[in-house]
Amino acid sequence: MLAVVVVPFLGAALTPLVYRVLGERTAYYAAAVAAVCLGLVANLGLSGAHGTVSVPWIPEYGVSLAFYVDGLALLIATLASGVGVLVFTYSGGYMHGEPGQKKYYATLLAFMGSMLGVALAADLIALFVFWELTSVSSFLLIGHYQDAEASQYAARKSMLITVAGGLFMLVGFLLLHDVAGGVAGVESAFRLSGPADGGSMIANAGAMVDALRAEGLFVPVLLLVGLGAATKSAQVPFHVWLPNAMEAPTPVSAFLHSATMVKAGVYLVGRFRPLLFGDPEWVLVFAILGLVTMTIAAVLAVGASDIKELLAYSTASHLGLIVAGFGLSGYVGAETGAFHILNHALFKAALFLVAGIVAHEAGTRAISELGGLRDDLPITAAVTVVAALGMAGLPPFNGFYSKELLFEGTWYVAKDAAASGSPLWWLLPVVAVFGSVFTFLYSIRFLMLFFGEKPDELGEVHSPPLAMTLPAVVLGVLALVVGLGGVTATFGVHLQPLEAFVASVANSAAVGGTEHEAISYHLPTEVTPYVLMSAVTIAVGAVTYPFFDRVRDGVRTVRSVDPLRPNWYYDGGTEALDRSSVVDVVQTGHLRTYAAALALATAGLALGAYAAAGVAVPELVFAGLELALVVVLVVAVASAVAVVAAPSHISGVLTLSILGFMVAIFYILASAPDLALTQLVIETLVLVIFLLVLDKLPAFYGGPSRLRAGRDAIVAGAVGLTVTVTVLLSTAGTPNDVIAQYFVEYGGVPEEHPDFFLDAGGGGNIVNVILVDFRAFDTLGEISVVAMAALSVITLIAMRDRGEAQ
Amino acid sequence: MDREPTVIARTVTRLVVPMILVTAIALLLQGHNLPGGGFIAGVLTVVAIALVYIIFGLDYLQTELLDRNGVKVPYDPETGIVKEFGNVFALGLAIAAGSGIVAMAFGRPFLTQGILFVEPLPVYKYLEVASALVFDLGVYAVVVGALLTITAVVGEE
Repeated sequence: MLAVVVVPFLGAALTPLVYRVLGERTAYYAAAVAAVCLGLVANLGLSGAHGTVSVPWIPEYGVSLAFYVDGLALLIATLASGVGVLVFTYSGGYMHGEPGQKKYYATLLAFMGSMLGVALAADLIALFVFWELTSVSSFLLIGHYQDAEASQYAARKSMLITVAGGLFMLVGFLLLHDVAGGVAGVESAFRLSGPADGGSMIANAGAMVDALRAEGLFVPVLLLVGLGAATKSAQVPFHVWLPNAMEAPTPVSAFLHSATMVKAGVYLVGRFRPLLFGDPEWVLVFAILGLVTMTIAAVLAVGASDIKELLAYSTASHLGLIVAGFGLSGYVGAETGAFHILNHALFKAALFLVAGIVAHEAGTRAISELGGLRDDLPITAAVTVVAALGMAGLPPFNGFYSKELLFEGTWYVAKDAAASGSPLWWLLPVVAVFGSVFTFLYSIRFLMLFFGEKPDELGEVHSPPLAMTLPAVVLGVLALVVGLGGVTATFGVHLQPLEAFVASVANSAAVGGTEHEAISYHLPTEVTPYVLMSAVTIAVGAVTYPFFDRVRDGVRTVRSVDPLRPNWYYDGGTEALDRSSVVDVVQTGHLRTYAAALALATAGLALGAYAAAGVAVPELVFAGLELALVVVLVVAVASAVAVVAAPSHISGVLTLSILGFMVAIFYILASAPDLALTQLVIETLVLVIFLLVLDKLPAFYGGPSRLRAGRDAIVAGAVGLTVTVTVLLSTAGTPNDVIAQYFVEYGGVPEEHPDFFLDAGGGGNIVNVILVDFRAFDTLGEISVVAMAALSVITLIAMRDRGEAQ
Repeated sequence: MDREPTVIARTVTRLVVPMILVTAIALLLQGHNLPGGGFIAGVLTVVAIALVYIIFGLDYLQTELLDRNGVKVPYDPETGIVKEFGNVFALGLAIAAGSGIVAMAFGRPFLTQGILFVEPLPVYKYLEVASALVFDLGVYAVVVGALLTITAVVGEE
């Protein structure tokens, strides 16, 4: 099981090497890596392995790299690796001639590994780490076109929002950990998921909820985890980053920002559902969050002017649908979420690939400039029909069935609530229908890119390479199969493996250990309230579509009012921060500011640690000092003072080297000839290098201001104090002499020895024997550092004019 | 540096540099039993070459000692002497790591060192051969290559 997570990271590490050999064909190497992962995941699923694998990570805190497989984990892992295979193949065509491919494939593979980690992680800390890794790789991929202003803005925005949400989630995790420590059944306080009879939090959900409620932490934890999920899955009001994320190359949008990474948020909701489900808080938070997002994002999608922007808002909207599904009570809620994760990944990834093909071949992404592409891109048009109608929720395509489940869920929740006297809950089904109407509208608009008149301005449209059409076709066919499964099921022929799989996913998100063997989905055979809801949606949508342009203009008008503008809060907030004077103080751009901060922090931490440990500075003993030693030290101190007063750089460096040579003499007096020799030669060499560099420096900088001199004095004083105290403390310590004993015993030549022996150093110079024999591995590390330093000097100085162009 | 070094400086350098180099080699070889070792020997060698470099200049070093004529940019990483220096420390790392792998080939842990006494010998009576010397040679090469690279590149600036 570990291999699933390790393979993509290994693949990513090897990518630069592979790229040298394969060039642009690296795409197929990456696709092969993804295929291996898919194989491993499929093997996990088919063999029915539902166990836990755990590797100790930080045993002191009970943190482990634990992985657990269940339906939900399998679904996300399958999507990550399966869509991965297709997206990598597609990239082979799409990224032709694009810059930075090495980085692109390496990051994409690393992302896939992180996503598999998120899906399989059973430990809270491991989950968090993989979670943030997906944010980081998303940041890199959104900012793929490093020089474009829009890419930078988009990458920063997504990073800021998702990582901030992740930190809230971490706080939630730590609170959970804190509470779990006191719950009897929980074995390891960081273990989130595991077998139903094991010691995980979810297996002891009842006790966990009771403990959380007793501490008054239930709602805070729910909200914190919810924040993490909402930022990642672009739920309102954090949906603003997703449309900007479309600056990334289209395969990335298809992979990260529709099929997988944004699913991490809904995955989290599904994963915590069995643990944190509590009426009415859970339903209140997630059902409402989901439905509001679904509606607002669908409305915004109608107002979009760019096909990728439309798909981005649509993605946020559908994620809202999934969250709403998980938010509803009962098994039908889990079913909705589980089934729609799968359906949405299939049709939305397909549509993104279609969008990429259109942009690539037609040369524009503006909705108003596109139309009548059917004749030029017949295969792509067919894929779009299946996927867009699925997105619209039209029977018999796949999206219809999961939307139907949502309607059913909202209907029952509202009915139950109304029965107990709160009619306000009827808003749930109403909002669901309202949002779906807009979903219908934009889905049809997207589909109409391929029909109708071809605008004259649109030039020649090329036919896309096979590497680009094939993945889209595969996804389209899969979506079609899911849809047709519902049709055949109406006549009694069920798509068994799919239904069982979706049921296993829903089981992992179900509350209270409800287990179903298989779900059953089919076309409606009788008139129910929720069938009527679908009918209303489609009817209203079809009637409104002829007025699509007016609806769109209306949406744009509303959107242009500042406080209603999606980005108003984000842009306003970051600009206010930018303007504040904090930045000027903290980020001066001067090396000395950073050096001072670093030195002061080090000194403060060290001294603080001494104070916290309550160590006493030993008394100084001056008795028994040799005269020679005193003379050397006095000269050293005098030269140190003279350095400060030196009139020029040259004299300063020369005076400094007096200090160095005095230290060398001190070593001789302290009978350490090896150290003394080294110090002497190094001192000489440093002097030479200094003199070479000084030639280029200006002779005189001008006198420092009184203020700066004072500040520098404080920094220098603090560092000096820290070093002095450290030396005093460490020399006063009397460590156990076992190691020194060992070195003395085995360093030399034994008195009786054979001609050849291995068990002793056999040298008279213990220092060197330690260096090359006892601690040779350390030395190997050190010389590697020396070599690395030389390489850095070459890269930094000699190659600096080369730039990135290669 | 625009001024020409004095004749005294040039003559002394000619005399002293070979002596420093011999001393460095002696330090390398005797390091096992007396003060010395690969690191010190390496730095000392660099000091000797840096002396040549300061007194006679990098061009002299390049054309006369290393026989690389016609290279315009001495610190160019592709053709100049810096590439040569780079080879030296790469070789050093290979020797140091390789000496450890040899131990593994004999079924010992990485970097196990052995001592071989060769006796009887005339004059010396016996000679102690330490496998650690090979490792030390690697250290020496790395230090020489790396520090020369740094001086050459920094000096050229």
